[in-house]
Amino acid sequence: MADTGENFAAFNSRALVEMVGGVTDEALKVTKIKQFLSVLAGRFFNWAGRKSLFTLHLGIKCCAIEMAAAATPRFDGDRFGVLFRSSPRQSDVLLVNGPISKKFADKIVRLWEQMPEPKYCIAMGECAISGGPYFQSYNILEGVDTVIPVDVYIPGCPPRPEALIDGFGLLREKIIRIGGAPSSGRDSEKPIIVGDE
Amino acid sequence: MAQMWITMGPQHPMTHGLWTLRVKVDGETVIDTEAELGYIHRGVEKICEARDFTQVTPYCDRLCYVSAMTWANSYIYAAEDLLEADVPERAEYIRLISAELQRLASHLMWLGAFGPDIGNLTLMTWCMRDREMFLDLLQELGGSRMHYNYPRIGGVKRDIPIGFADRMIAKVKLFEKRIEEYEMMLDESTIWLVRLQGVGYCNAEEMVEAGVSGPNVRAAGVNYDVRWAHPYSVYDEVDWEPAVEKPTSVKGADCYDRYRVRIEEMRQSCRMVLDAIEKIPGGKNTNYASGDEMIYTKAPTRAPEGATGFSNYECTRGASQFYIEGGGEGRGKKPYRLSIRSPMFITIPFVAKTMIGYKVADIPAIMGSFDPCIGETDR
Amino acid sequence: MGMKITLEQNAAAVTECADAINDKFSGSGISADIVQHSNAKKYSFVRVVTPPQHWQALAKCMKFDMGVNYCSMITGTHYPEGPDERGWGLAYHLLRQPISNQLPDTSTVYVAEKMLGSQIPVEFEVLIDLPNNDAPSVPTVQHIWVGADWNEKETWDLVGIQFEGHENMFRVLNPLDSPDGFHPLQKQHKIRYHDYNEMYDDAQGFVRKPADEGRVK
Repeated sequence: MADTGENFAAFNSRALVEMVGGVTDEALKVTKIKQFLSVLAGRFFNWAGRKSLFTLHLGIKCCAIEMAAAATPRFDGDRFGVLFRSSPRQSDVLLVNGPISKKFADKIVRLWEQMPEPKYCIAMGECAISGGPYFQSYNILEGVDTVIPVDVYIPGCPPRPEALIDGFGLLREKIIRIGGAPSSGRDSEKPIIVGDE
Repeated sequence: MAQMWITMGPQHPMTHGLWTLRVKVDGETVIDTEAELGYIHRGVEKICEARDFTQVTPYCDRLCYVSAMTWANSYIYAAEDLLEADVPERAEYIRLISAELQRLASHLMWLGAFGPDIGNLTLMTWCMRDREMFLDLLQELGGSRMHYNYPRIGGVKRDIPIGFADRMIAKVKLFEKRIEEYEMMLDESTIWLVRLQGVGYCNAEEMVEAGVSGPNVRAAGVNYDVRWAHPYSVYDEVDWEPAVEKPTSVKGADCYDRYRVRIEEMRQSCRMVLDAIEKIPGGKNTNYASGDEMIYTKAPTRAPEGATGFSNYECTRGASQFYIEGGGEGRGKKPYRLSIRSPMFITIPFVAKTMIGYKVADIPAIMGSFDPCIGETDR
Repeated sequence: MGMKITLEQNAAAVTECADAINDKFSGSGISADIVQHSNAKKYSFVRVVTPPQHWQALAKCMKFDMGVNYCSMITGTHYPEGPDERGWGLAYHLLRQPISNQLPDTSTVYVAEKMLGSQIPVEFEVLIDLPNNDAPSVPTVQHIWVGADWNEKETWDLVGIQFEGHENMFRVLNPLDSPDGFHPLQKQHKIRYHDYNEMYDDAQGFVRKPADEGRVK
């Protein structure tokens, strides 16, 4: 035993992990297994996550009432796995359902940044897409996609709850199609517009 | 004990809309509050200075989105005052029926959002299920579930469809039985009573001083309703009584009284609608074409400079008023100034001050019982 | 049957209020008229015109002598092309409501047709004209009616009319960090795309301008 304070009896576990991890990492990279594993893991998480999209409980304006109606017995979004969470840290989808004013712009960007990856954004209703009937206003941004990247647009003023559930369905298809980590494929994927086929 | 400011920020399940309530707490007790509004200020008053009088109606639907028909009617009465238009009697009956159906749908939405605040998640599903019945009826009239653009200056857009009367009578009679189910569930539930009684006292004079109106004031025992005080539609020919609730203490009405007054208002709305459909001139099973003189009188479209119009209307959450000055762009085709008075703009700061002295857990109960709707607050 | 305040009750109450104001303030520029609505049941209201310096005295008289207990709406308007003495206009809408506190377990249900005298609800409209300059201001009635508090904040925020003596003025609807002097409802501020010519190249609005080629919005 040396009396320099170093403990030789048990290897320092962090150094062990780093050393072993570094060796394994190099080995996997050479054989391309690492790339294969990350794609497989990404696809697995996408397959698992698409059926359980936790949506942030954010109600800005009228479309929020249709969002609430989509959670109620007649339309029942819960059978598609759409559940509303109060905290952005626990949600996957940011459903923007109203016009974004200058006062709220930095707060919605903050909510978006608080959400952990993988995260998606749905712009619901005309006000979130392009400013809607208030596109001429001095206080409303012309669409939420001026500050946040949007995956699915759902037109309507307000869109019916069936349209909202259809939008979630198209988001599910998009998640499967992107593969890998979602944010890497975001730039090359064009956003989907509901009703555009 | 530790004192600190807590921000119940714009994104919060309690707030029913985007506004911030900052509370200063000492332990669990609230000692000071500040309300911050304006997160969905859209500048509707400025936009409407560039719209014709008919083009303003969809903007008024979107002011308070939960009770859109009453706000559209409120604007239409002000425009009729400005443009001096006449309205046929059948159209007034149809407006009354549509406004009262909308009041039912709005109170159900309130109850469906208020229940989960208190912890009763069943109410959300029950109320929204019943609200769908009335949304179907309003969809038959206006074409959409939420923003109808239905009344016109001088009448209404379309007549009631054939068979609407029978469907409406059946649904309203079914709903009257459902109200009893709600009362059975809630008035015998200890948690509901303990959380609502004794919380949030407001007395009538303070409320009126501050500008609160509508069911919030009627819960304090005073019967003041714009529908009889400044009468506007055919409310005097229809069988109804204003819903008034006796306050439980000398300090005023608590949350339980405000909940009871809205249940009572739902009953009165059912009664009004059933009576009005029987008394409608022209019969309940006839359908006149759009533009027929039974439901629509062509109104002038220009208002000269110097003309003003004002309307005082009983919306679901209080008294809403519109003040329009004529003589705008297009040689009087557009309003020069359109001013909107929202009952909730005054109520929310008032309620923020009433919360002082109660616990943090009472905040959702007090705020929810006043029925805030932020769409009309930040116009 | 639903009850209502009859036309005769309304006419009597309105005449009484207008006469009271005219008698008390005759000769100081304050005048009260009876104006009839053209909508609904064609009821009447009292319109009072006052210069800004007498506004606080009139407000105190209305509140304490006539029982006007409800300040419901304040509208500010900018008239840049108007005459010099009317560059800005304010319209206050006030109501007299017969409301009093209740003892526990009691309620007051009025029989509308039997209401008399100062119990009958009346609508008031107070119009104040301000001269055409860059700093319009009017005395505040914040301490007379509680309901005027946030209404005055909103009027200052959107229109820019100062209220002398108003405590704790802040922006209620526009963002808190809006630039000083930004009051959007003044007429020199135009809404975005105010002239559709800016956005489109043709009269029908199908073709964007060449500079905006390829832009979606």
